Amino acid sequence: MAEHTVKAFDEDITRLRGLIAEMGGLAELAIQEALEALVTGDEELGQQVVERDKRLDRLEAEVDAMAVRLLALRAPMADDLREIIAALKIAGVVERIGDYSKNIAKRVGRIEGRSRFEPLTLLPAMGELAAEMVHDVLTAYAARDPLMAREVIERDAKVDAFYDSVFRNLVSHMVENPATISSAAQLLFVARNLERIGDHATNVAEMVHFAALGTYPTDIER
Amino acid sequence: MVTDLPSNAEPKMRARDVSVFYGDKKAVDSVSIDIQTEYVTAFIGPSGCGKSTFLRAFNRMNDTIGSARVEGCIELDGEDIYKSGMDVVQLRARVGMVFQKPNPFPKSIYENVAYGPRIHGFAEGKADLDAVVERSLRRAGLWDEVKDRLTDSGTALSGGQQQRLCIARAIAVEPEVILMDEPASALDPIATAKIEELIDELRGRYAIIIVTHSMQQAARVSQRTAFFHLGHLVEYGETSQIFTMPREERTKDYITGRYG
Repeated sequence: MAEHTVKAFDEDITRLRGLIAEMGGLAELAIQEALEALVTGDEELGQQVVERDKRLDRLEAEVDAMAVRLLALRAPMADDLREIIAALKIAGVVERIGDYSKNIAKRVGRIEGRSRFEPLTLLPAMGELAAEMVHDVLTAYAARDPLMAREVIERDAKVDAFYDSVFRNLVSHMVENPATISSAAQLLFVARNLERIGDHATNVAEMVHFAALGTYPTDIER
Repeated sequence: MVTDLPSNAEPKMRARDVSVFYGDKKAVDSVSIDIQTEYVTAFIGPSGCGKSTFLRAFNRMNDTIGSARVEGCIELDGEDIYKSGMDVVQLRARVGMVFQKPNPFPKSIYENVAYGPRIHGFAEGKADLDAVVERSLRRAGLWDEVKDRLTDSGTALSGGQQQRLCIARAIAVEPEVILMDEPASALDPIATAKIEELIDELRGRYAIIIVTHSMQQAARVSQRTAFFHLGHLVEYGETSQIFTMPREERTKDYITGRYG
């Protein structure tokens, strides 16, 4: 992309994009570590995930402040305007993804009798899918690649299918083992959180598409 | 040229393959555009892109420049304004103009506004003329500021007031189209805001074309925007589309500050 006549504007936009990339990296790591802590019962790791989420909150605030400053001082137009609006919205969504991971991490100590839970073997695979969506959608963001963003959106159906499968599995487990209902309910929330992460990665993908082309992926099908 | 506009309504003015030359130099190259009434159309583009020259073709202001020559056709309500026998004075009453620098006559505020209606025979008698002057000054948003000193010189007003006086003068002869060439570029932000507010109020009554170097101003006051570059009309579309999703790379580079 051609440079702006005012070079400082290019530097500002690069800095803004860097903040989003940093948030994406933190969010992806949070999903992976929250799942690892859950499966291994590592409460210390879980606590780390909870603690590190504060960095995501601070980065989001930084993106907000920077976006407001750019809108006020540079009065951006066209793709610059879309870029800044997208950054503002993506930061909010990635921060939410961090919250879901934090929520998963908080449940680590509430699961009893880990070895008996079959769904615990399904969740890491589901978490990996969700983490990959987050990873790839931020790659699409960095590359301003709307096609890659669409590809991420298509993957959300797999996460949803996983959720249905885990849900059914957990419900039958609860019917057969009423004593484990409270632990199983915790895992239901975990599955739900992962499903929401997939939805949020989809939202980010839509914003990547919007920033690049000015349209939403769904517009083309209409 | 890329255009994305509904063309249902009959245009007030229609330019077809208009080229303007200064001697051998082609300043405007084969431009076609429709101008609708009740719309503000902004012409934007870098210096020397031909936008002001093109604007002046709409009321034959270029006639006053010896070396200037216009080719192609410009119609007002379907009538070719460059046809032989066209009454240019009458044309300029129907297609009024406001310039970059406020240029009131060195006469009283009242006379500045009354001059046009009087010579064009728009008012009969003093009472009639008084009414035209008041109505024009009210429409230009200046009446309350000057009603007690109509006999003061127009040049004694502030820059922003002078520009609104020039707008009052232009609308006093009941034009159908108003051409504005950077009408607020010499004014401070408050006076600029008043002019922009006025343009928005006048829109319902006239077709307005405004040439501006301020992208923000074009975005604020116009419904349609035409981007010119090197004498060509590059893109013409709804203002919101031009400033959020321009179709042409050159338009995008210009409005985002990447030009040149």
